[in-house]
Amino acid sequence: MKLLSLMRRQRSLLNCAPITARQLADRPMRSAISRADGSAEFTDQQNFDRAVARVVGLISIPAESAEWFSEKDLVPVSKRTWKNTLRNPAVLAISFAVVVIAGVFVFNFVSHLNDFPGSATARKLLAVAASTRPVMLDPVDAEAGTLSDLFFMKHGLEHYDVPEQFADFGTIGCRVFEDDESRRVAQIWVSEKRMQFFLFPAERDSKTGSVLRFPGWRYVHQEGWTGAVMEHSGVCFMAAVRGSDKDLQPYLSQPKE
Amino acid sequence: MLGDSRKAQEVFHATLREAAMRAARGELPSEPFWLFRDARWRCLEATKSDLQPESVEMDEGDVAPNAESQIQRLDPMQLAIWISAAPDPQRSALALFYLDEFDYQDILDIAELKLSELSRYLAKGRRQLQAWLDSKFPQSSKV
Repeated sequence: MKLLSLMRRQRSLLNCAPITARQLADRPMRSAISRADGSAEFTDQQNFDRAVARVVGLISIPAESAEWFSEKDLVPVSKRTWKNTLRNPAVLAISFAVVVIAGVFVFNFVSHLNDFPGSATARKLLAVAASTRPVMLDPVDAEAGTLSDLFFMKHGLEHYDVPEQFADFGTIGCRVFEDDESRRVAQIWVSEKRMQFFLFPAERDSKTGSVLRFPGWRYVHQEGWTGAVMEHSGVCFMAAVRGSDKDLQPYLSQPKE
Repeated sequence: MLGDSRKAQEVFHATLREAAMRAARGELPSEPFWLFRDARWRCLEATKSDLQPESVEMDEGDVAPNAESQIQRLDPMQLAIWISAAPDPQRSALALFYLDEFDYQDILDIAELKLSELSRYLAKGRRQLQAWLDSKFPQSSKV
């Protein structure tokens, strides 16, 4: 049934086929003509139409009216406007895809703008902070700054030092665990704002093995948690808190005397 | 459309006047073919008072391969009168089509026709014109 109606439409289009070969913008017409091209019936029709059009062209037009058309086309060739081009579904689809790709690119660019060596590990540790419960840590009632000795003596972890800004915070508990890349991470829970500290090895250059250093404090964010990270002697320290940069800024601004 | 150059001129001027007045008022329609549609209606209006052709069933014949030579012998004014004698909207369809200035979509727009209607009018027009040519210039070789 569909085929029959398609054939009927093609037949209708052929009956209206343009007389002179002009640029055919209409795709269905182009398709109908290419199917019928060469058939005797269509050739006769075209010859017939051309001959009639030639005679019609000879019909005299009064001079007064003819001068209106002397140098102008009766129907100006419609130019593609920007509006029409933009409304084209293919152009719309491509534009949309380009915008999405550009959006993803910009998002990635912006989100990696503040990246630093070790930021990926820091983000993973923020996820660990979010899921940590107090019972998972060994209870320790001491000042955070004193735990570096514990980490060195008990676990052999060198330079796992808590910066002096956070050194005198009272601890609730601590533990040492291995992350998914078998790096040893020290975690300390303090009572101040229920902050958690993480100490983990700094990133190293894969070729030279040298520590990839970065100056000062850097922020990372993950699942509503914010971490402030600094590197010292090949070890990164991160203070993590549930909240924003503002919650950590007062502690980072000035080292304690 | 009219088969009469004097009337055609009048319609042409009336259409231009209308366009000029609309332009002066800043009321030119945005649709591209309004001028042609307007001219067509004026042509139909102008022929309303004329003697109308009898609605007789015209002979029809398939388009002949040698029709070209028959058509070449036609006087242009005879063809103009033959087209203007066709009932509308077939007349509009034939006039606009053989003017060879519009594509079929433009004609559908100007003559307010559907594709199937335009196709039918043109096909019928060809067959009728062929029958007229055959009666006017009989082919001796035709069996």
